[in-house]
Amino acid sequence: MTRLSAHAKGLLFAGILLIVSTLSIPVAPYLWLSFSNDTATATETQEQNPRATFWRSVRRGSSGYTAVPGQEAGVVIHGNGLNWREYRVKILAPYGSYLMAGVLIIIAMYYAMRGPINLESGYSGQSITRFSVYQRVIHWFTAILFWLLSLSGLILLYGRYVLIPLLGSKGFAITAAACKEAHNLFGPIFLLALVLLIATFIRDNLYRKGDIDWLKKGGGMFGTHASADKFNFGEKVWFWLVCILGLSVSVSGVLLDFSILGLNRTAMEIAHVIHSAAAIIFISISFGHIYLGTVGTQGTLDGMTKGSVDANWAKHHHDRWVPETGNQEAIQHPLTSNMREAPGD
Amino acid sequence: MTEFIQGPLWTIATTIFLIGVVWRITTIMSCKVSGELSRTRGTAGVGSIKAIFGRFVPRKETISSGRFQMITGYMFHLGLFALLFFAAPHVEFLKQRYLGFGWTPMPRWAFVIAAELAFAGLILLWLRRIMHPVTRLLSTLDDQLASGLTFVAMFTGCLALFESYTQLRVLHLFTVELLLIYFPFSNLMHAFTFIISRGSTGTRAGRRGV
Repeated sequence: MTRLSAHAKGLLFAGILLIVSTLSIPVAPYLWLSFSNDTATATETQEQNPRATFWRSVRRGSSGYTAVPGQEAGVVIHGNGLNWREYRVKILAPYGSYLMAGVLIIIAMYYAMRGPINLESGYSGQSITRFSVYQRVIHWFTAILFWLLSLSGLILLYGRYVLIPLLGSKGFAITAAACKEAHNLFGPIFLLALVLLIATFIRDNLYRKGDIDWLKKGGGMFGTHASADKFNFGEKVWFWLVCILGLSVSVSGVLLDFSILGLNRTAMEIAHVIHSAAAIIFISISFGHIYLGTVGTQGTLDGMTKGSVDANWAKHHHDRWVPETGNQEAIQHPLTSNMREAPGD
Repeated sequence: MTEFIQGPLWTIATTIFLIGVVWRITTIMSCKVSGELSRTRGTAGVGSIKAIFGRFVPRKETISSGRFQMITGYMFHLGLFALLFFAAPHVEFLKQRYLGFGWTPMPRWAFVIAAELAFAGLILLWLRRIMHPVTRLLSTLDDQLASGLTFVAMFTGCLALFESYTQLRVLHLFTVELLLIYFPFSNLMHAFTFIISRGSTGTRAGRRGV
Protein backbone atom coordinates (compact mmCIF):
# COMPACT_ATOMS: atom_id res chain seq x y z
CA MET A 1 0.00 0.00 0.00
CA THR A 2 1.41 3.33 -1.00
CA ARG A 3 2.05 5.97 1.64
CA LEU A 4 -0.21 8.98 1.60
CA SER A 5 1.44 12.22 0.55
CA ALA A 6 1.50 15.15 2.96
CA HIS A 7 -1.11 16.88 0.86
CA ALA A 8 -3.43 13.87 0.88
CA LYS A 9 -2.95 13.55 4.65
CA GLY A 10 -3.84 17.18 5.02
CA LEU A 11 -6.99 16.70 2.96
CA LEU A 12 -7.93 13.59 4.95
CA PHE A 13 -7.36 15.34 8.27
CA ALA A 14 -9.37 18.36 7.15
CA GLY A 15 -12.22 16.14 6.00
CA ILE A 16 -12.30 14.22 9.29
CA LEU A 17 -12.15 17.47 11.28
CA LEU A 18 -15.01 18.89 9.26
CA ILE A 19 -17.21 15.83 9.72
CA VAL A 20 -16.49 15.58 13.47
CA SER A 21 -17.17 19.31 13.97
CA THR A 22 -20.39 19.18 12.00
CA LEU A 23 -21.66 16.11 13.79
CA SER A 24 -20.63 17.21 17.27
CA ILE A 25 -22.46 20.55 17.17
CA PRO A 26 -25.93 18.98 16.82
CA VAL A 27 -25.11 16.46 19.56
CA ALA A 28 -24.26 19.10 22.16
CA PRO A 29 -27.84 20.22 22.91
CA TYR A 30 -28.93 16.57 23.29
CA LEU A 31 -26.30 16.12 25.98
CA TRP A 32 -27.36 19.32 27.65
CA LEU A 33 -31.04 18.34 27.61
CA SER A 34 -30.25 14.89 28.88
CA PHE A 35 -28.17 16.33 31.72
CA SER A 36 -30.77 18.92 32.67
CA ASN A 37 -33.54 16.27 32.71
CA ASP A 38 -31.46 14.09 35.02
CA THR A 39 -30.86 17.02 37.30
CA ALA A 40 -34.55 17.87 37.34
CA THR A 41 -35.43 14.27 38.21
CA ALA A 42 -32.85 14.14 40.97
CA THR A 43 -34.06 17.32 42.65
CA GLU A 44 -37.73 16.39 42.40
CA THR A 45 -39.34 16.26 45.78
CA GLN A 46 -41.83 13.57 46.60
CA GLU A 47 -45.30 14.93 46.02
CA GLN A 48 -48.16 13.90 48.25
CA ASN A 49 -50.97 15.40 46.19
CA PRO A 50 -51.92 12.92 43.42
CA ARG A 51 -53.63 15.66 41.35
CA ALA A 52 -50.50 17.79 41.49
CA THR A 53 -48.39 14.79 40.55
CA PHE A 54 -50.67 13.99 37.63
CA TRP A 55 -50.70 17.59 36.43
CA ARG A 56 -46.92 17.80 36.73
CA SER A 57 -46.64 14.65 34.65
CA VAL A 58 -48.92 16.08 31.96
CA ARG A 59 -47.08 19.38 32.08
CA ARG A 60 -43.79 17.60 31.48
CA GLY A 61 -45.12 15.98 28.35
CA SER A 62 -45.96 12.46 29.45
CA SER A 63 -47.95 10.53 26.88
CA GLY A 64 -51.43 9.14 27.48
CA TYR A 65 -53.84 7.04 25.44
CA THR A 66 -55.34 8.43 22.25
CA ALA A 67 -57.15 6.89 19.30
CA VAL A 68 -55.53 9.46 17.01
CA PRO A 69 -52.57 7.96 15.16
CA GLY A 70 -49.35 9.90 14.80
CA GLN A 71 -46.13 10.66 16.59
CA GLU A 72 -46.64 12.22 20.04
CA ALA A 73 -50.41 12.34 19.46
CA GLY A 74 -50.95 11.25 23.07
CA VAL A 75 -49.02 14.20 24.50
CA VAL A 76 -51.31 16.93 25.82
CA ILE A 77 -48.68 19.50 26.72
CA HIS A 78 -45.29 19.60 25.09
CA GLY A 79 -43.12 20.97 27.87
CA ASN A 80 -40.08 21.86 25.82
CA GLY A 81 -42.23 23.87 23.43
CA LEU A 82 -42.40 26.70 25.92
CA ASN A 83 -38.64 26.64 26.40
CA TRP A 84 -38.16 26.74 22.65
CA ARG A 85 -40.57 29.68 22.34
CA GLU A 86 -38.77 31.53 25.12
CA TYR A 87 -35.47 30.92 23.37
CA ARG A 88 -36.80 32.18 20.03
CA VAL A 89 -38.48 35.30 21.39
CA LYS A 90 -36.21 36.25 24.29
CA ILE A 91 -32.76 35.08 23.20
CA LEU A 92 -32.52 34.44 19.48
CA ALA A 93 -34.40 37.46 18.15
CA PRO A 94 -32.90 40.20 20.37
CA TYR A 95 -29.35 38.87 20.72
CA GLY A 96 -29.28 37.91 17.05
CA SER A 97 -30.16 41.45 16.08
CA TYR A 98 -27.54 42.84 18.49
CA LEU A 99 -24.89 40.60 16.96
CA MET A 100 -25.70 41.52 13.37
CA ALA A 101 -26.02 45.22 14.14
CA GLY A 102 -22.82 45.08 16.21
CA VAL A 103 -20.82 43.58 13.36
CA LEU A 104 -22.18 46.18 10.95
CA ILE A 105 -21.28 48.99 13.36
CA ILE A 106 -17.74 47.64 13.83
CA ILE A 107 -17.29 47.44 10.04
CA ALA A 108 -18.63 50.97 9.60
CA MET A 109 -16.32 52.29 12.34
CA TYR A 110 -13.33 50.51 10.83
CA TYR A 111 -14.16 51.92 7.41
CA ALA A 112 -14.55 55.42 8.85
CA MET A 113 -11.19 55.23 10.62
CA ARG A 114 -9.08 53.23 8.16
CA GLY A 115 -10.94 53.60 4.87
CA PRO A 116 -10.44 51.08 2.07
CA ILE A 117 -7.12 49.27 1.70
CA ASN A 118 -5.88 50.75 -1.56
CA LEU A 119 -3.13 49.49 -3.79
CA GLU A 120 0.00 51.43 -2.82
CA SER A 121 1.42 51.35 -6.32
CA GLY A 122 -1.91 51.59 -8.16
CA TYR A 123 -3.07 49.31 -10.95
CA SER A 124 -0.32 47.89 -13.14
CA GLY A 125 -2.63 47.11 -16.04
CA GLN A 126 -1.39 43.52 -16.08
CA SER A 127 -3.72 40.82 -14.89
CA ILE A 128 -3.25 37.42 -13.29
CA THR A 129 -5.91 34.73 -13.44
CA ARG A 130 -7.15 34.05 -9.92
CA PHE A 131 -10.34 32.03 -10.28
CA SER A 132 -11.58 29.81 -13.10
CA VAL A 133 -15.09 30.14 -14.53
CA TYR A 134 -16.19 27.04 -12.62
CA GLN A 135 -14.84 28.37 -9.31
CA ARG A 136 -16.63 31.68 -9.78
CA VAL A 137 -19.88 29.99 -10.81
CA ILE A 138 -19.81 27.83 -7.68
CA HIS A 139 -18.97 30.83 -5.46
CA TRP A 140 -21.84 32.95 -6.80
CA PHE A 141 -24.22 29.98 -6.81
CA THR A 142 -23.60 29.59 -3.08
CA ALA A 143 -23.73 33.36 -2.49
CA ILE A 144 -27.07 33.80 -4.30
CA LEU A 145 -28.64 30.95 -2.36
CA PHE A 146 -27.11 32.20 0.89
CA TRP A 147 -28.76 35.60 0.49
CA LEU A 148 -32.08 34.18 -0.69
CA LEU A 149 -32.15 31.99 2.41
CA SER A 150 -30.84 34.69 4.73
CA LEU A 151 -33.41 37.21 3.58
CA SER A 152 -36.32 34.78 3.78
CA GLY A 153 -35.10 33.46 7.15
CA LEU A 154 -34.69 36.93 8.62
CA ILE A 155 -38.18 37.87 7.41
CA LEU A 156 -39.56 34.82 9.19
CA LEU A 157 -37.70 35.74 12.39
CA TYR A 158 -38.05 39.52 12.47
CA GLY A 159 -40.93 40.11 10.04
CA ARG A 160 -43.53 40.54 12.75
CA TYR A 161 -41.55 43.42 14.23
CA VAL A 162 -40.45 45.07 10.99
CA LEU A 163 -42.99 44.22 8.30
CA ILE A 164 -46.32 44.26 10.13
CA PRO A 165 -46.11 48.05 10.63
CA LEU A 166 -45.35 48.42 6.91
CA LEU A 167 -47.54 45.77 5.29
CA GLY A 168 -50.19 45.09 7.90
CA SER A 169 -51.00 41.69 9.37
CA LYS A 170 -52.45 40.25 6.14
CA GLY A 171 -49.58 41.53 4.05
CA PHE A 172 -47.05 40.06 6.46
CA ALA A 173 -48.92 36.75 6.56
CA ILE A 174 -48.69 36.46 2.76
CA THR A 175 -45.02 37.49 2.76
CA ALA A 176 -44.19 35.04 5.53
CA ALA A 177 -45.99 32.18 3.75
CA ALA A 178 -44.07 32.96 0.56
CA CYS A 179 -40.76 33.19 2.44
CA LYS A 180 -41.38 29.88 4.18
CA GLU A 181 -41.95 28.14 0.86
CA ALA A 182 -38.89 29.73 -0.72
CA HIS A 183 -36.76 28.97 2.35
CA ASN A 184 -37.81 25.32 2.38
CA LEU A 185 -37.26 24.88 -1.34
CA PHE A 186 -33.89 26.60 -1.66
CA GLY A 187 -32.45 25.09 1.52
CA PRO A 188 -31.53 21.70 0.05
CA ILE A 189 -30.04 23.42 -3.01
CA PHE A 190 -27.79 25.37 -0.64
CA LEU A 191 -26.53 22.08 0.76
CA LEU A 192 -25.61 21.00 -2.77
CA ALA A 193 -23.92 24.35 -3.40
CA LEU A 194 -22.01 24.07 -0.17
CA VAL A 195 -20.69 20.61 -0.97
CA LEU A 196 -19.56 21.83 -4.40
CA LEU A 197 -17.96 24.90 -2.81
CA ILE A 198 -16.06 22.84 -0.24
CA ALA A 199 -14.84 20.39 -2.88
CA THR A 200 -13.74 23.26 -5.14
CA PHE A 201 -11.84 25.38 -2.63
CA ILE A 202 -10.66 23.00 0.10
CA ARG A 203 -7.22 22.37 -1.40
CA ASP A 204 -6.10 25.98 -1.23
CA ASN A 205 -7.57 26.49 2.24
CA LEU A 206 -5.48 24.00 4.16
CA TYR A 207 -3.08 25.42 6.73
CA ARG A 208 0.30 26.31 5.29
CA LYS A 209 3.52 27.51 6.80
CA GLY A 210 3.44 31.26 7.14
CA ASP A 211 -0.27 31.60 7.94
CA ILE A 212 0.49 32.38 11.59
CA ASP A 213 2.93 35.12 10.54
CA TRP A 214 0.12 36.68 8.55
CA LEU A 215 -2.05 36.59 11.67
CA LYS A 216 0.68 38.12 13.85
CA LYS A 217 0.86 41.06 11.46
CA GLY A 218 -2.89 41.58 11.70
CA GLY A 219 -3.37 40.59 8.09
CA GLY A 220 -1.80 43.85 6.96
CA MET A 221 -4.87 45.76 8.07
CA PHE A 222 -2.93 48.01 10.40
CA GLY A 223 -0.15 49.21 8.15
CA THR A 224 2.49 46.44 8.04
CA HIS A 225 2.67 44.16 5.03
CA ALA A 226 1.63 40.54 5.58
CA SER A 227 2.69 37.84 3.15
CA ALA A 228 0.11 35.27 2.08
CA ASP A 229 -0.50 32.36 -0.26
CA LYS A 230 -3.44 32.17 -2.66
CA PHE A 231 -5.70 32.53 0.38
CA ASN A 232 -4.52 34.31 3.50
CA PHE A 233 -5.18 32.99 6.99
CA GLY A 234 -8.30 35.15 7.39
CA GLU A 235 -9.78 33.80 4.19
CA LYS A 236 -8.97 30.28 5.32
CA VAL A 237 -10.72 30.84 8.64
CA TRP A 238 -13.74 32.16 6.74
CA PHE A 239 -13.68 29.07 4.51
CA TRP A 240 -13.70 26.70 7.50
CA LEU A 241 -16.43 28.71 9.20
CA VAL A 242 -18.46 28.42 6.02
CA CYS A 243 -17.91 24.66 6.12
CA ILE A 244 -18.85 24.20 9.78
CA LEU A 245 -21.63 26.78 10.05
CA GLY A 246 -22.93 26.04 6.56
CA LEU A 247 -23.15 22.31 7.13
CA SER A 248 -24.72 22.83 10.57
CA VAL A 249 -27.34 25.15 9.09
CA SER A 250 -27.95 22.88 6.11
CA VAL A 251 -28.19 19.56 7.96
CA SER A 252 -30.44 20.99 10.68
CA GLY A 253 -32.47 22.75 7.98
CA VAL A 254 -33.01 19.55 6.04
CA LEU A 255 -34.19 17.86 9.26
CA LEU A 256 -36.70 20.67 9.77
CA ASP A 257 -37.72 20.70 6.13
CA PHE A 258 -38.53 17.04 5.72
CA SER A 259 -40.96 15.93 8.39
CA ILE A 260 -40.99 12.51 6.72
CA LEU A 261 -37.70 11.86 8.52
CA GLY A 262 -39.85 11.18 11.58
CA LEU A 263 -38.26 13.45 14.16
CA ASN A 264 -40.25 14.25 17.26
CA ARG A 265 -40.95 17.80 18.38
CA THR A 266 -38.05 18.03 20.80
CA ALA A 267 -35.62 16.97 18.09
CA MET A 268 -37.17 19.52 15.73
CA GLU A 269 -36.79 22.22 18.35
CA ILE A 270 -33.15 21.33 18.89
CA ALA A 271 -32.63 21.36 15.14
CA HIS A 272 -34.23 24.81 15.02
CA VAL A 273 -32.02 26.11 17.84
CA ILE A 274 -28.90 24.97 15.99
CA HIS A 275 -30.25 26.17 12.65
CA SER A 276 -31.14 29.66 13.80
CA ALA A 277 -28.08 30.26 16.00
CA ALA A 278 -25.66 29.05 13.32
CA ALA A 279 -27.48 31.08 10.67
CA ILE A 280 -27.30 34.33 12.67
CA ILE A 281 -23.56 33.83 13.29
CA PHE A 282 -23.07 32.91 9.63
CA ILE A 283 -24.87 36.03 8.42
CA SER A 284 -22.98 38.26 10.87
CA ILE A 285 -19.57 36.99 9.77
CA SER A 286 -20.56 37.18 6.11
CA PHE A 287 -20.83 40.98 6.48
CA GLY A 288 -17.08 41.05 7.07
CA HIS A 289 -16.44 38.82 4.04
CA ILE A 290 -18.60 41.02 1.84
CA TYR A 291 -16.98 44.20 3.12
CA LEU A 292 -13.43 42.95 2.51
CA GLY A 293 -14.37 41.52 -0.87
CA THR A 294 -15.96 44.73 -2.14
CA VAL A 295 -15.39 48.24 -0.75
CA GLY A 296 -12.88 47.25 1.93
CA THR A 297 -10.03 46.19 -0.35
CA GLN A 298 -9.40 47.81 -3.70
CA GLY A 299 -9.28 45.36 -6.60
CA THR A 300 -10.42 42.26 -4.72
CA LEU A 301 -13.83 41.94 -6.31
CA ASP A 302 -12.28 41.59 -9.78
CA GLY A 303 -11.10 38.10 -8.87
CA MET A 304 -14.65 36.87 -8.41
CA THR A 305 -16.27 38.89 -11.20
CA LYS A 306 -13.69 38.94 -14.00
CA GLY A 307 -11.69 35.96 -12.82
CA SER A 308 -8.42 37.88 -12.87
CA VAL A 309 -6.75 40.38 -10.57
CA ASP A 310 -4.24 43.11 -11.14
CA ALA A 311 -0.62 42.00 -10.79
CA ASN A 312 0.03 44.72 -8.19
CA TRP A 313 -2.95 43.54 -6.16
CA ALA A 314 -1.61 39.99 -6.24
CA LYS A 315 1.88 41.12 -5.17
CA HIS A 316 0.45 43.30 -2.41
CA HIS A 317 -1.99 40.79 -0.86
CA HIS A 318 -0.81 37.36 -1.97
CA ASP A 319 2.87 37.70 -2.73
CA ARG A 320 3.69 34.04 -2.00
CA TRP A 321 1.05 32.98 -4.52
CA VAL A 322 2.38 35.11 -7.41
CA PRO A 323 5.39 32.87 -8.23
CA GLU A 324 2.98 29.90 -8.47
CA THR A 325 1.06 31.65 -11.23
CA GLY A 326 4.01 31.49 -13.64
CA ASN A 327 4.47 34.06 -16.35
CA GLN A 328 0.83 34.92 -16.77
CA GLU A 329 1.21 38.62 -16.98
CA ALA A 330 1.91 38.38 -20.69
CA ILE A 331 -1.61 37.08 -21.27
CA GLN A 332 -3.79 40.07 -21.80
CA HIS A 333 -6.54 39.07 -24.20
CA PRO A 334 -9.84 39.77 -22.45
CA LEU A 335 -11.51 36.66 -23.86
CA THR A 336 -8.81 34.14 -23.13
CA SER A 337 -7.24 35.52 -19.97
CA ASN A 338 -9.90 34.21 -17.61
CA MET A 339 -10.84 31.09 -19.53
CA ARG A 340 -7.65 29.44 -18.38
CA GLU A 341 -7.62 27.35 -15.28
CA ALA A 342 -6.66 29.38 -12.26
CA PRO A 343 -3.15 28.59 -11.00
CA GLY A 344 -3.09 25.89 -8.46
CA ASP A 345 -6.26 24.23 -9.78
CA MET B 1 -56.90 43.34 -10.70
CA THR B 2 -57.13 39.72 -9.56
CA GLU B 3 -60.12 39.13 -11.85
CA PHE B 4 -58.29 40.76 -14.74
CA ILE B 5 -55.22 38.55 -14.29
CA GLN B 6 -57.26 35.38 -13.89
CA GLY B 7 -59.63 36.19 -16.74
CA PRO B 8 -58.95 38.54 -19.67
CA LEU B 9 -55.17 38.70 -19.29
CA TRP B 10 -54.90 34.93 -19.27
CA THR B 11 -56.99 34.78 -22.47
CA ILE B 12 -54.86 37.48 -24.10
CA ALA B 13 -51.60 35.81 -23.06
CA THR B 14 -52.58 32.34 -24.27
CA THR B 15 -53.92 33.78 -27.54
CA ILE B 16 -50.66 35.64 -28.20
CA PHE B 17 -48.74 32.52 -27.26
CA LEU B 18 -50.70 30.21 -29.55
CA ILE B 19 -50.87 32.56 -32.54
CA GLY B 20 -47.21 33.49 -32.11
CA VAL B 21 -46.01 29.91 -31.90
CA VAL B 22 -48.07 28.84 -34.93
CA TRP B 23 -46.86 31.88 -36.87
CA ARG B 24 -43.20 31.21 -36.05
CA ILE B 25 -43.45 27.52 -36.92
CA THR B 26 -45.33 28.26 -40.15
CA THR B 27 -42.68 30.80 -41.11
CA ILE B 28 -39.90 28.29 -40.56
CA MET B 29 -41.71 25.47 -42.34
CA SER B 30 -42.46 27.65 -45.36
CA CYS B 31 -38.79 28.48 -45.88
CA LYS B 32 -37.51 27.16 -49.17
CA VAL B 33 -34.97 24.41 -48.77
CA SER B 34 -32.58 23.62 -51.59
CA GLY B 35 -33.35 20.31 -53.28
CA GLU B 36 -31.44 17.15 -52.50
CA LEU B 37 -29.31 16.37 -55.54
CA SER B 38 -27.56 13.27 -54.33
CA ARG B 39 -28.90 9.76 -54.90
CA THR B 40 -31.14 8.55 -52.09
CA ARG B 41 -29.28 5.95 -50.07
CA GLY B 42 -31.46 5.67 -46.96
CA THR B 43 -34.83 6.44 -45.39
CA ALA B 44 -35.55 10.06 -44.57
CA GLY B 45 -38.24 9.24 -41.98
CA VAL B 46 -36.02 6.91 -39.99
CA GLY B 47 -33.22 9.47 -40.02
CA SER B 48 -35.60 12.14 -38.80
CA ILE B 49 -36.94 10.03 -35.92
CA LYS B 50 -33.41 8.96 -34.99
CA ALA B 51 -32.25 12.56 -34.85
CA ILE B 52 -35.23 13.85 -32.87
CA PHE B 53 -35.02 11.20 -30.16
CA GLY B 54 -31.42 10.07 -30.43
CA ARG B 55 -30.06 13.52 -29.64
CA PHE B 56 -31.64 13.46 -26.21
CA VAL B 57 -28.74 11.16 -25.38
CA PRO B 58 -25.52 13.13 -24.86
CA ARG B 59 -22.68 12.50 -27.28
CA LYS B 60 -19.35 11.26 -26.05
CA GLU B 61 -17.64 14.53 -27.02
CA THR B 62 -20.16 16.53 -24.98
CA ILE B 63 -19.64 14.36 -21.91
CA SER B 64 -15.93 15.09 -21.87
CA SER B 65 -15.74 18.73 -22.91
CA GLY B 66 -19.08 20.23 -21.87
CA ARG B 67 -19.86 18.20 -18.78
CA PHE B 68 -20.98 21.16 -16.69
CA GLN B 69 -23.47 22.47 -19.28
CA MET B 70 -24.67 18.96 -20.02
CA ILE B 71 -25.42 18.07 -16.40
CA THR B 72 -26.97 21.42 -15.50
CA GLY B 73 -28.87 21.48 -18.79
CA TYR B 74 -30.44 18.11 -18.10
CA MET B 75 -31.17 19.10 -14.49
CA PHE B 76 -33.03 22.21 -15.57
CA HIS B 77 -34.94 20.84 -18.55
CA LEU B 78 -36.01 17.55 -16.95
CA GLY B 79 -36.95 19.34 -13.72
CA LEU B 80 -38.97 21.96 -15.57
CA PHE B 81 -40.71 19.35 -17.74
CA ALA B 82 -41.73 17.39 -14.66
CA LEU B 83 -42.97 20.52 -12.88
CA LEU B 84 -44.88 21.77 -15.89
CA PHE B 85 -46.79 18.59 -16.66
CA PHE B 86 -46.80 16.59 -13.45
CA ALA B 87 -47.09 19.08 -10.59
CA ALA B 88 -50.46 18.50 -8.90
CA PRO B 89 -51.70 22.14 -9.22
CA HIS B 90 -50.80 22.19 -12.94
CA VAL B 91 -52.56 18.90 -13.65
CA GLU B 92 -55.64 20.18 -11.84
CA PHE B 93 -55.50 23.50 -13.70
CA LEU B 94 -55.32 21.83 -17.12
CA LYS B 95 -58.10 19.41 -16.16
CA GLN B 96 -60.48 22.07 -14.92
CA ARG B 97 -59.74 24.75 -17.49
CA TYR B 98 -59.06 22.93 -20.76
CA LEU B 99 -59.00 19.16 -20.94
CA GLY B 100 -61.72 17.86 -18.68
CA PHE B 101 -59.49 14.99 -17.69
CA GLY B 102 -56.29 14.70 -15.71
CA TRP B 103 -53.50 12.27 -14.97
CA THR B 104 -51.68 11.10 -11.88
CA PRO B 105 -49.57 13.96 -10.58
CA MET B 106 -46.16 13.59 -8.97
CA PRO B 107 -46.04 12.84 -5.25
CA ARG B 108 -44.76 15.68 -3.10
CA TRP B 109 -41.25 14.25 -2.70
CA ALA B 110 -40.88 13.97 -6.48
CA PHE B 111 -42.15 17.53 -6.86
CA VAL B 112 -39.53 18.78 -4.40
CA ILE B 113 -36.74 16.93 -6.21
CA ALA B 114 -37.90 18.21 -9.61
CA ALA B 115 -38.07 21.78 -8.30
CA GLU B 116 -34.62 21.54 -6.69
CA LEU B 117 -33.12 20.21 -9.92
CA ALA B 118 -34.80 22.83 -12.07
CA PHE B 119 -33.77 25.76 -9.86
CA ALA B 120 -30.22 24.55 -9.35
CA GLY B 121 -29.82 23.90 -13.08
CA LEU B 122 -31.24 27.27 -14.12
CA ILE B 123 -29.14 29.31 -11.67
CA LEU B 124 -25.95 27.44 -12.57
CA LEU B 125 -26.57 27.78 -16.30
CA TRP B 126 -27.31 31.49 -15.97
CA LEU B 127 -24.19 32.06 -13.86
CA ARG B 128 -22.06 30.28 -16.42
CA ARG B 129 -23.65 32.36 -19.14
CA ILE B 130 -22.55 35.60 -17.48
CA MET B 131 -19.23 34.31 -16.11
CA HIS B 132 -17.78 32.61 -19.17
CA PRO B 133 -16.33 35.26 -21.48
CA VAL B 134 -17.49 33.53 -24.66
CA THR B 135 -21.06 32.80 -23.61
CA ARG B 136 -21.27 36.29 -22.11
CA LEU B 137 -20.27 37.76 -25.45
CA LEU B 138 -22.72 35.57 -27.36
CA SER B 139 -25.64 36.19 -25.03
CA THR B 140 -28.19 38.77 -26.05
CA LEU B 141 -30.74 40.73 -24.07
CA ASP B 142 -33.28 38.14 -25.24
CA ASP B 143 -31.31 35.34 -23.57
CA GLN B 144 -31.13 37.25 -20.30
CA LEU B 145 -34.82 38.16 -20.41
CA ALA B 146 -35.82 34.58 -21.20
CA SER B 147 -33.74 33.22 -18.30
CA GLY B 148 -35.04 35.93 -15.97
CA LEU B 149 -38.70 35.45 -16.84
CA THR B 150 -38.41 31.68 -16.55
CA PHE B 151 -36.79 32.04 -13.13
CA VAL B 152 -39.42 34.50 -11.94
CA ALA B 153 -42.27 32.27 -13.14
CA MET B 154 -40.74 29.25 -11.39
CA PHE B 155 -39.97 31.26 -8.26
CA THR B 156 -43.49 32.65 -7.88
CA GLY B 157 -44.77 29.13 -8.49
CA CYS B 158 -42.72 27.88 -5.58
CA LEU B 159 -44.00 30.71 -3.38
CA ALA B 160 -47.55 29.69 -4.19
CA LEU B 161 -46.88 26.02 -3.63
CA PHE B 162 -49.44 25.43 -0.91
CA GLU B 163 -51.99 27.80 -2.46
CA SER B 164 -52.52 29.24 0.98
CA TYR B 165 -53.15 32.73 -0.38
CA THR B 166 -54.92 33.75 -3.57
CA GLN B 167 -52.50 36.66 -3.99
CA LEU B 168 -49.53 34.31 -4.35
CA ARG B 169 -51.34 32.13 -6.89
CA VAL B 170 -52.38 35.20 -8.88
CA LEU B 171 -48.80 36.51 -8.78
CA HIS B 172 -47.62 33.21 -10.24
CA LEU B 173 -50.33 33.34 -12.91
CA PHE B 174 -49.29 36.90 -13.80
CA THR B 175 -45.62 35.99 -14.28
CA VAL B 176 -46.62 32.96 -16.36
CA GLU B 177 -48.75 35.26 -18.52
CA LEU B 178 -45.76 37.54 -19.07
CA LEU B 179 -43.72 34.51 -20.04
CA LEU B 180 -46.41 33.29 -22.46
CA ILE B 181 -46.61 36.71 -24.13
CA TYR B 182 -42.84 36.90 -24.49
CA PHE B 183 -42.38 33.29 -25.53
CA PRO B 184 -43.07 33.39 -29.31
CA PHE B 185 -40.77 36.37 -29.84
CA SER B 186 -37.81 34.89 -28.05
CA ASN B 187 -35.27 32.08 -28.05
CA LEU B 188 -37.67 30.19 -25.80
CA MET B 189 -39.21 29.02 -29.07
CA HIS B 190 -36.52 26.34 -29.05
CA ALA B 191 -39.01 24.35 -26.96
CA PHE B 192 -40.82 23.75 -30.28
CA THR B 193 -38.24 24.44 -32.95
CA PHE B 194 -35.78 21.83 -31.68
CA ILE B 195 -38.07 19.22 -33.25
CA ILE B 196 -37.97 20.99 -36.61
CA SER B 197 -34.22 21.52 -36.62
CA ARG B 198 -33.41 18.00 -35.47
CA GLY B 199 -36.01 16.56 -37.86
CA SER B 200 -34.63 18.53 -40.78
CA THR B 201 -31.05 17.54 -40.10
CA GLY B 202 -32.09 13.93 -39.49
CA THR B 203 -34.09 13.82 -42.73
CA ARG B 204 -31.09 14.94 -44.80
CA ALA B 205 -28.79 12.56 -42.99
CA GLY B 206 -31.31 9.72 -43.41
CA ARG B 207 -31.63 10.27 -47.17
CA ARG B 208 -27.89 10.22 -47.51
CA GLY B 209 -27.70 7.05 -45.46
CA VAL B 210 -25.49 8.64 -42.81
